[in-house]
Amino acid sequence: MSVLHEGGMLRLLGNCPVEDAEALMAGLRAAPDCPVDLAAAGALHAAVVQVLIALRPRLLNQPEDGFARAWVLPAVRRAVAHHSVTT
Amino acid sequence: MDELVGQFLLEGRELLQQATEDLLALERDPRDAARLAEAFRAVHTLKGSTGLFDLAPMGRALHAAEDVLAALRAGTRQPDAAGFAVLLRCLAACAAWLEAFASHGALPEGASAESAALVAALLRATPEAAVDWVAPLLAGAAPAVAAARAAGQRVVALRYVPRPDCFFLGDDPMALARDVPGLLALELRDQQDWAALGDDPYRCNLVLEMLSTAAPEELRRLFRFVADQVEVLEPAVAPAATAPDAAAAPTTLRVEAARVDTLVELVGELTVAKNALAHLVAGAAAGTPAAQALAAEQLALDGLVGRLHRAAMALRLTPLRRVFRRFPLLVRDMAAQLGKQVAFTLEGDQLEADRVVVDGLAEPLLHLLRNALDHGIEAPAQRLAAGKPAAGTLVLAARQQGEQLLVTLADDGAGLDPARLRRLARERGVLGAAELAGLDDAASRELIFLPGFSTAAAVTEISGRGVGMQAVRAAVRALGGQVSVASTLGQGTLFTLALPLSVSLTTVVTVGAGGEVHGVPLAAVVETLTLPAARILPLGAGEAFAWRDRTLPLLRLDALLGGVAAPRCGTARLLVVQAGGQLLGLEVDAVLRRLELAMRPPSGLLARMPGLLGTGLQGDGRVLLVLNLEELLA
Repeated sequence: MSVLHEGGMLRLLGNCPVEDAEALMAGLRAAPDCPVDLAAAGALHAAVVQVLIALRPRLLNQPEDGFARAWVLPAVRRAVAHHSVTT
Repeated sequence: MDELVGQFLLEGRELLQQATEDLLALERDPRDAARLAEAFRAVHTLKGSTGLFDLAPMGRALHAAEDVLAALRAGTRQPDAAGFAVLLRCLAACAAWLEAFASHGALPEGASAESAALVAALLRATPEAAVDWVAPLLAGAAPAVAAARAAGQRVVALRYVPRPDCFFLGDDPMALARDVPGLLALELRDQQDWAALGDDPYRCNLVLEMLSTAAPEELRRLFRFVADQVEVLEPAVAPAATAPDAAAAPTTLRVEAARVDTLVELVGELTVAKNALAHLVAGAAAGTPAAQALAAEQLALDGLVGRLHRAAMALRLTPLRRVFRRFPLLVRDMAAQLGKQVAFTLEGDQLEADRVVVDGLAEPLLHLLRNALDHGIEAPAQRLAAGKPAAGTLVLAARQQGEQLLVTLADDGAGLDPARLRRLARERGVLGAAELAGLDDAASRELIFLPGFSTAAAVTEISGRGVGMQAVRAAVRALGGQVSVASTLGQGTLFTLALPLSVSLTTVVTVGAGGEVHGVPLAAVVETLTLPAARILPLGAGEAFAWRDRTLPLLRLDALLGGVAAPRCGTARLLVVQAGGQLLGLEVDAVLRRLELAMRPPSGLLARMPGLLGTGLQGDGRVLLVLNLEELLA
């Protein structure tokens, strides 16, 4: 379990495998305005990534994992921006 | 013709030629962005011009071709052989339409249908699926892409559309992306709208687009387990956006050929006038101050006219490329038609020669190329059986040798079989058995140039009907040149065309014979000598003399011209000349001087006179007959 609901935000902790997608989605459905804190996030599974894009939570902090920080998070932000414009 | 139409046709032909060359080059190297840009520009420009005339079908075809080229430039379309073939077909159709428009003022019937078929084929060459993912990807990562390319790295684009159920198969597309070496860009997109994801986070809706400096094969290896979901391509490098350097580009001026011809003709007349002056100066009372001043001025004029002549002739110089550039496409088509494989190379096509020579080369060379493909280069199976590579090589090369232009065509095909040529010549009644028996192998190869000779086992659509090689020789001779053939059985054939670089002015030596003055082309003269009569020896019915350790036959020009040979005094004046590949002595009454002549081909009554090459005006206004030694001595 690496999705933690804590202090008014959802925190992704360490590597987030495919199962975390369901927990993340459930958490965000329950509290749509809840931001997601990535400060402690490791490698993010594609299933988790697509939930971040589809549900567009506010994203806080830079992930700990280098690849996630350098490539995934910026790509997610661009995808979200694009999908906000078109919907 | 309407000036606008004329201009359009002129430019249209050039643009189509340009685009065709570019596409042929791209076929070999699809990454050549400069060529791609040039092809695009040519097609775009031509498309624009077609709008001025009633050429809508041509415009539509060009528009579709332009779209394909634009997609190739943007990188949204992967260049492939099929695509280039369709583009080339489109350009060929446009070239045919252009010529139809030139001769009939309208497109041929059926152009609309043909155009529609081409447009459809071109659309198929740009499938929707591939449209527009690379360009935005490249644009989004422009600085990284530019830096990578500046560092000499490749930029390869990869699009990964994971199967919706991939998560259940244990795939993590993001983990694969993490392993991509040399990542330059990563973009995440949706397969369907994100709303469609609903409450099912396990149906993959992601599309991953990446740019990498890794080789396509490396990326394919990495994604080998999801190969069906991945597209890898290497977009063409966009040309550096530099403004054309106006100062560095040579300025060109398009001038009608006829105007240049007029100028050259006038310079020719001026040369004649200059020669007349020289004649007068020589006749003026020698030693007087006036004569000396006249001689000095005449010398200066001589130099100026010479320079003017060279400058005027330079205007007529045209690169061989003008004719050669058509050949790669023609060779490609002919080879395909004949089921032959051939690697065709052009060399020296940047050399320049007189426009008349360059244009005059087109027909004979085309014929030689056809022959080489039809009879020279063997079918792939036959070549393999002979221990040769399946594809033959064909090299068309030009080089300058002194005042001559040498054009050679070499193939590595079957070669000419002298025994077979002799047998065919006998069967076809080209020569009698007795004459053939006397031919050595080299002379036998020359049989192909004789009227009525063809080695085609079956007359094919391509090589025509045996008038070919004879016509080649005639065409080359008309340009003042020679064609020769060398061949090794089983190894190939080499044709050599030796041509003058310029045709307008001919240097002749004037000689006196039988009370007349005649010109002999300087090109044929090896040496002039004075020989004591005692050194001339009877040889059979004729005479001979020793020259540089050789014995050469001696002929008397007055006798050759139908007169009676005058009795010889103590010495003989003679020219050692080369005619028909043979050296011989030509005795004359006097060797007079060297003269540059604007020579004209014989016309009217003179045209029927054998042994006459042409006529020119001498300094004193008299017409000089220039002799054709080959014909005279034949």
